[in-house]
Amino acid sequence: MIGVKKINNKPMDLLERIYLWEIARGLSVTMRHFFRNLFNPKAMPTIQYPEEPIPLAGNAKFRTRHRLKVRADGSPKCVACFLCATACPAYCIKIEAAEYPDNPVEKYPASFEVDLSRCVMCGMCVEACPEDAIAMDTKEIPGGSLSRSGLMMDKNTLLRNLPGEPSTLGAANRLANGYRGVK
Amino acid sequence: MMEFFEANKGLLLFTGATAGKMAAFLGAVMGFTALMTLAERKVSSLMQDRVGPNRASVFGLAFNGLFHPVADGIKMIMKEDFVPGRAEKLLFTLAPFFALVPVLMLFAVIPFGDYVMVLGYRVDLQIADLPLGLFFVLALSGIAIYGVFLGGWASKNNFALLGAMRGAAQMVSYEVVIGLTLVGLLMIYGTAGLQDMVRSQGGLLFGFVPAWGVVYQPFAFVLFFTAAIAENKRAPFDLVEGESEIIGYFLEYSSMRFAAFMFTEFLEIVLLSMLIATLFFGGWQVPYLYEAGFTLPGGARLPLNHYAVSALQVGAFAVKTVFFSWFMLIVRWTLPRFRFDQMMGLCWKALLPLALLNIFITGAVLLALGKI
Repeated sequence: MIGVKKINNKPMDLLERIYLWEIARGLSVTMRHFFRNLFNPKAMPTIQYPEEPIPLAGNAKFRTRHRLKVRADGSPKCVACFLCATACPAYCIKIEAAEYPDNPVEKYPASFEVDLSRCVMCGMCVEACPEDAIAMDTKEIPGGSLSRSGLMMDKNTLLRNLPGEPSTLGAANRLANGYRGVK
Repeated sequence: MMEFFEANKGLLLFTGATAGKMAAFLGAVMGFTALMTLAERKVSSLMQDRVGPNRASVFGLAFNGLFHPVADGIKMIMKEDFVPGRAEKLLFTLAPFFALVPVLMLFAVIPFGDYVMVLGYRVDLQIADLPLGLFFVLALSGIAIYGVFLGGWASKNNFALLGAMRGAAQMVSYEVVIGLTLVGLLMIYGTAGLQDMVRSQGGLLFGFVPAWGVVYQPFAFVLFFTAAIAENKRAPFDLVEGESEIIGYFLEYSSMRFAAFMFTEFLEIVLLSMLIATLFFGGWQVPYLYEAGFTLPGGARLPLNHYAVSALQVGAFAVKTVFFSWFMLIVRWTLPRFRFDQMMGLCWKALLPLALLNIFITGAVLLALGKI
C-alpha cells in the first residue's frame, strides 16, 4: 500500500493575500529574537570555542585528548615500545626512547609527541598499548590553534590531566603500578 | 588679491560652506555605510541566535567585531582585480562607477538639518537645495540601472547578462511605482524641494499629532517602502543577485570593483532610509521642537538656544536614518524571496493600481477640503 500524504492546500484568506499582516507577524518573531539576544547575549547557545571549553557530561563516553598515565612514583607507565606509534593510522605519534640508568629491563619515553593536526581520534593507540599507559579519557576536546606548533602535544602536556596537574588517574593501584626497580 | 576676495566673497563663502558640508555629511554617510556592512551580519546573526563576526582584532582587541569592515576592505584590496578576456574592457570598468556615482550624488539633495548660524552666516544643512529635488532623486535612481545593466552586459557572461536582464526589468518596473507613490506627497506639500517638504512637516495636526507625511499618506508610505526595497534589489526582492545561488550581474567582478557594487547596495539602504525619513517622517523635525525650543501641546515651554535646537534636529535625522536602515536589515533577514513572476505580478497588478488609487483618493480628499 502506497502511503498517501494529503497536503492541505487551502487557499490563502484575505489577511494572508495582502501579505502585510503576515509580514508583521514574521517581523515580530525575528525582532523578539533580535532584542532578546541584543540585551541578553548570554542566552545564546553559542560557545566561544576554543577559548571556552565545551562542558561534557560526566559519563560521556567520548574519545578526548590523550594522556599518559603515571605510576605512583610519578614516572610514566609508558615503556616506549612503539606499539601505539605502529598502530596509529595517521602516523601522529612520535616517541624517542631512553633507558633508566638503574634499570636495564625497561625503557621510558624521553619524548612522546602527539600531532593533533594529524590525529583522527580513533583510539587505536589506546587499544594497542600493552602497559595501559596511554588513555583518551581526559574529557577535554582539543581546541584549534593559529599555528602548527600549537597542535603538537609534548610529553609534559600528555602527562597533564587537569591544567597544571600531573595525571594521577589510574595511579591508585600501587602493586600494579609500582616501579619495579632492580635490587 | 584682497580685491578678488572682496569681489567674490559670496561665491567663496558658498564654495567653502558647501565643501565643508560635503566633507562632514559624506564622511558621516560613508562611515555609517561601512558600519552597515557589519550591522548587516550582526543583525542577521542576532536574529538567528548566533553571535556573528567577532574575531577581527587589533592588538587583541576585537570590540565585538568592530574591525570587520576594515578587514573586509583590506581583503577586497588584496584580491586579484580580474577582467575576463572577452569582456568589454571600457564598459566593464565604467559599470561600477555608474552604480556608485548616482547614489553618492543623491545625498546632495538630502536635508539633514534646518540651518546653523556660523560666525554670523546662515548655513543651510543641505548640500544642494534643488527646487525640484524629488525629480532629481527619481532621475538619478533611473541612471543607477545603467550600472546594473552595463555590469552584466559588459562581462560577456550569459549568467551575468541574465542577472542584468532581471535587474533591469525589476528596477524599471518598481521605478514606476516609486514615482507614482510620490505624486500624493507632491499634491499635499505643493513643492518638489526636499527641504521645503521637511519644513512643511513641522506643524501639528489636530493640535497634537506631528504633521508628518506618514500621517497624511500612510498608504503611500507602505507602497514606497516596498518599492524602495525592490529598487534597492534586496530581499525579498533580491533575485537580481540571488547571492546564495543564481548570482547576478556582478558575477565576473572581483576585488574593489565588486566592492563598489556591494558598497552601493549599502549606500542605497542609507539613502532610502534618509529619503523615507525626509518624505514621510518629518526629516530633521523633532515633534514639538520649534526654532525657540520645545512647545508642548499643553502650552509648556522649554526654551533652547539655536545650537541646541540644530543639534537636536540633526540628531533626530540621524536617529530616523539609523532606525529605517535597521528596519531594512530586519526585513531582509525575515522575508523569503519572491519568485520572479510573483515579484512582477506584485508590482504591476498590486502596487501600481494601489498607487494610482492613492493618487485618486488624495486628489478627491484635497478637492473635498477645497485645497485645490
